[in-house]
Amino acid sequence: MQQPTLGPHLTSWLLTYPDTYEVGLPNQGLQILYELLNERPDSSAERTYAPWIDLEAEMRAHGLPLFSVDTHRAAGEFDVIAFNLSAELVYTNVLNCVDLAGLEVRSSRRNDADPLIGAGGHCAFNPEPLADFVDFFVVGDGEEVVGEITEVVGAWKRAGKRAGTREGVLRELAGIEGVYVPAMYDVAYDGAALVEVTPKYPDVPPLVAKRTVADLADWPYPRQQLVPVTEVVHDRLSVEVFRGCTRGCRFCQAGMITRPVRERPAAQVREMISTGLKRSGYDEVSLMSLSTADYSGIAELVRDTVSAGALETAGADAKRISVSLPSLRVDAFTVDVAAQVSRARRTGLTFAPEAGSWRLRQILNKLITEEDLYGAVRSAYSQGWHRMKLYFLTGLPSEMDPDTEAIAHLAETCARIGQEYTKRASVTVSLGGFVPKPHTPFQWFGQNPPDELARKVRLVRSALGRNRRVQLKWHDPAASTAEGIASRGDRRVGAVIEYVWRRRGTFQEWSERFDLGLWEEAMAASGLSLDWYVYRHRGESEVLPWDHIGAGLHRDFLWQDWQDALAGHGLPDCRWTPCYDCGACTEYGIEHIVASPVAPNGGSQGTGQDLATGHLVPVELRPRRLASAGASAGGGA
Amino acid sequence: MRLRVRFSKTGKIRFIGHRDVARVTERAVRRVGLPVAYSEGFSPRMKMSFGLALPTGYESDGEFVELPLIADAVVEGSAPGGGDQGVSGPVIVCQTDAHRPCEHEPESSAPSYCTVAEALSEALPVGMEVSAAVLTDGRGPSLQAATRSCGWQFDIVGLDPAAAEKAVAEFLAAGTVVTERVHKGETVSSNVRPSVEVLQVVGCSDRGAVLSAVLSATPRVVRPSELVPALAPAHEMGIARRTHQWTCGAAGRAEPAVPATCAQKHKELISG
Repeated sequence: MQQPTLGPHLTSWLLTYPDTYEVGLPNQGLQILYELLNERPDSSAERTYAPWIDLEAEMRAHGLPLFSVDTHRAAGEFDVIAFNLSAELVYTNVLNCVDLAGLEVRSSRRNDADPLIGAGGHCAFNPEPLADFVDFFVVGDGEEVVGEITEVVGAWKRAGKRAGTREGVLRELAGIEGVYVPAMYDVAYDGAALVEVTPKYPDVPPLVAKRTVADLADWPYPRQQLVPVTEVVHDRLSVEVFRGCTRGCRFCQAGMITRPVRERPAAQVREMISTGLKRSGYDEVSLMSLSTADYSGIAELVRDTVSAGALETAGADAKRISVSLPSLRVDAFTVDVAAQVSRARRTGLTFAPEAGSWRLRQILNKLITEEDLYGAVRSAYSQGWHRMKLYFLTGLPSEMDPDTEAIAHLAETCARIGQEYTKRASVTVSLGGFVPKPHTPFQWFGQNPPDELARKVRLVRSALGRNRRVQLKWHDPAASTAEGIASRGDRRVGAVIEYVWRRRGTFQEWSERFDLGLWEEAMAASGLSLDWYVYRHRGESEVLPWDHIGAGLHRDFLWQDWQDALAGHGLPDCRWTPCYDCGACTEYGIEHIVASPVAPNGGSQGTGQDLATGHLVPVELRPRRLASAGASAGGGA
Repeated sequence: MRLRVRFSKTGKIRFIGHRDVARVTERAVRRVGLPVAYSEGFSPRMKMSFGLALPTGYESDGEFVELPLIADAVVEGSAPGGGDQGVSGPVIVCQTDAHRPCEHEPESSAPSYCTVAEALSEALPVGMEVSAAVLTDGRGPSLQAATRSCGWQFDIVGLDPAAAEKAVAEFLAAGTVVTERVHKGETVSSNVRPSVEVLQVVGCSDRGAVLSAVLSATPRVVRPSELVPALAPAHEMGIARRTHQWTCGAAGRAEPAVPATCAQKHKELISG
C-alpha cells in the first residue's frame, strides 16, 4: 500500500480526477504523477475525486470541504490542486471541486496563499474554456514537468506565500516549458472573431509548446499501481506498452497530440507485467496504448504473458492470466493475436471501423478495408468469441446517407460471418456523434447539429430493420453539442461553463445528469452563438483559440491534411514509412522508438496490402509539397 | 480438502460491501500463491464460499471463507482438522515440491515458513486480519447453511448503561417485540423477540452503552440494528461488530474456526 509522506516542508499536490472515484481511480496519468511526486524528496501527493451528488449534498450540509482520499486532508490546505482533464464534459465538475475546496472558482478572485489550481491531460491542448478558472495548465507529458513546477512552487512556499507574490510565482511558472498560465496573456476579439492571444510580458512565451518524454523506458511507471478495494471501471493491471500513434486518423486528437510513437522495450513491459501481477493479485492485464496491436511483437508478448501467468500462479492451469487489448485496429488483429488473447478468459472485443464506407474511411485516413474488418471478425469468431462491438462515428466531413447506411451493411455482414461459427453470434454497433477536436485536421470542420445526428442514427436504425443479430446503441446527439462548445471554445466559453455549474449542471458526462437545455440557456445568457462555436466551418486564415498552444504539428501540415482528406487522399503511417514532417518530431529533435521496422501484423495503412501476405509493406508515398501544388500521386519509398 | 479462513473486518474497511470483500480476498489469495481450485470453463473463477454476508458498515471479528484446494496440494504443519470443528494452529499449504520461504526472514538460511494466516493478513488490506486458517475435509454443509446464530457487539449512541440495562430487561421480559425495517424498499414489521437468544449490557464506549447479543440466523438473519428501535427509540446504533458465527457442534454451540493465539498481526491503522 502506498502512503504519501507528509510534512510541512514538502510541496503538497492534490491530484484530482473530476469524475467519480470509480471512473477516476484507474487513470494511469494521475497514478504516474502520484508516484513520481511521492518519490521526490521535496513533494508529496494525495488524490481526490469528484463526490457524487449525494455525498456532495452531505458535505455541503455538514460544512465539509473537498478532502483527499489518502489522509482526509482538506483540499484548501494543499499547495497545488491539479486536475486531470480527459474529457470536456467534466469542466463543470472542475469548478465544483474548486468551490467545494472552499476557493473562489475564478483565478482572479483567489487569495495569494490559496492553493494554485493546475490542469493537464488531453483537454489542456485547448485550455481556453477553463482559462478563467485554472491558474496553470500543463501541455503534454507530465513526467518531467511536475518536478520543475514543484521547485518553483516549493520556493514560493518556503518564502511564506506572502501577499502580492502570487502573480510572481505564476509568472515564473509561465517560464517553464510546457506550462501555460492564462493570466499572463491578453486576448483580443473583433466581434465574434478571435483576433489574437498575446503574452503580457516579454519573458512569457507567445507559443506554449507541449512536453514530450523522449523515451518511455526511462519512466517505468506506475511501479505500484493502486489496487482499489471497491470495484472500479477498469479493475485490472494496466501496463502502458507505447505512447503516441501515427496511424494518422484525422478525427483523432490523441493520435495527433501524442506523437511520436514511443514503444516501451519488450523486456521492461514483461517485467512490469510480472511484478505488477505479483504485487496486485490481479489476474487480468490490460496492455495500454492507442491501437495496441501495432506494438512490435504483440503476439509474442500476449503469448508470454498468458503462459508466464500460468507458470507463476500456484496450481494454475493455462487459463489464469487474461490479457485485454483495449484499442484494436482491425487490420492488425490477426488470427495469431486472437488466438493468443483467447487462451485466457476472453475479454470484450471492440473494433472501430469508424465509418461505414471505404470512401469515408479514406477521408478519415482510417485505411482499413472491408476485407480487413471481416478478416479480424473472422479471426475473433474462429477463436471462440461470440459477440463483439463495432464503434462508428457519424456526422463526419462529407458524410452522405449511403456512407451512414453502409454501417448497417458492415455490421450485418460481421454478424453473418459470426453465424458460420456460432449460433449465438451477435454484433453491437455503437454510434457516436463526431465532435471536431483541436490540433486535428478536422479542427476546421463544422459539427453536425443534434437533429442531423439524430437523423443519421435513425438512418442506421431503419437500415438495420429487424436484424436481431445486430444491436444499435448511440451516444446522445445533444451531448455532442455541449462537448463541441467546450472542445473548440475560446475564453468566452468560461462564462457558459460557470453558468451551467451554478445551476447544478455537474456530472454532464452522465446521461442521467446531462441537460442540453442548460447549455443552450448558458450560451444565450453569455451572448454566444452555438452556430459560431459549434456548427460553423472555419477557414484557413481564422485564428483558432488554441493557436498559441503547440502540439508540435505544423499548422500547414494540418491544413494540407484537411484538404487531402476532402480530396480522399490517404497518408501512410510514418513510423514504418519515411517522414512527411508533420512537425511532432522535427520540432523537438525526437523520433519514433519502434522495435519493428514494419507493421507487426501487416495492415493496409495506405498500402493496399493484403493481410494474408504478412509482413511485406509496400509503400507508395505521395510527396507532400508536390501534392499541394496539385501534382498527382507519385514518388515512392 | 479445504482451507477455512477466519478474518476480521474493522475500521474503514467496514464500508466495503460483500462483493468487494470477495474480490479483495481473491486477489490476496493469488498474491500469497495458495494452491486453490478454480471453476472450469471459459471463465475460470476462484472457488470460494463465504459465511453469512456481513451488512456493509458493520465490523467483524468472525468472518469466514472456505477455499477448496487443488487435488495435488501438499499440506504440512498440521493434520486435517475434525470436519466442522476445525483445528486451529499454524497451517502451511505449499504447492507440490517448492516450499515457499517467508519473505520476512530473508536472513534465515534454513527454510522457514509463513503461516497461511500471516501471509494472508499481509496480503489483505488494513483492517482485514486473518486470525485462523485451518484445514477441513470439505464434507458437511456449507458455512452459510451451518450457521445457526451470530454473536454481536454494538453500541447505542448517547444511551447510558443504566438506561440500557432497564431497556434490555424490558425487552427480554416481553413475549413479542415488533420492530420495523426497510426490506427491498418497503417497510416490513416483524417480531424480533424469538430471534434474540442472548442480550446483555457489557459496558460503555465513548459513544454510549455497549450491548452484546446472540441473534439467530434462521429463518432469517436478524441484525442488531433491528433491536435498537425497541430498546431506545430516540437513539441510533453506533458501530456494530460481529463477534461470532455459531454453528451447531457435538457439544452445543461451536465456531467454524477458533482464532489462533498470537496469530493476530498488528498493522498500523490509518486514523480517521
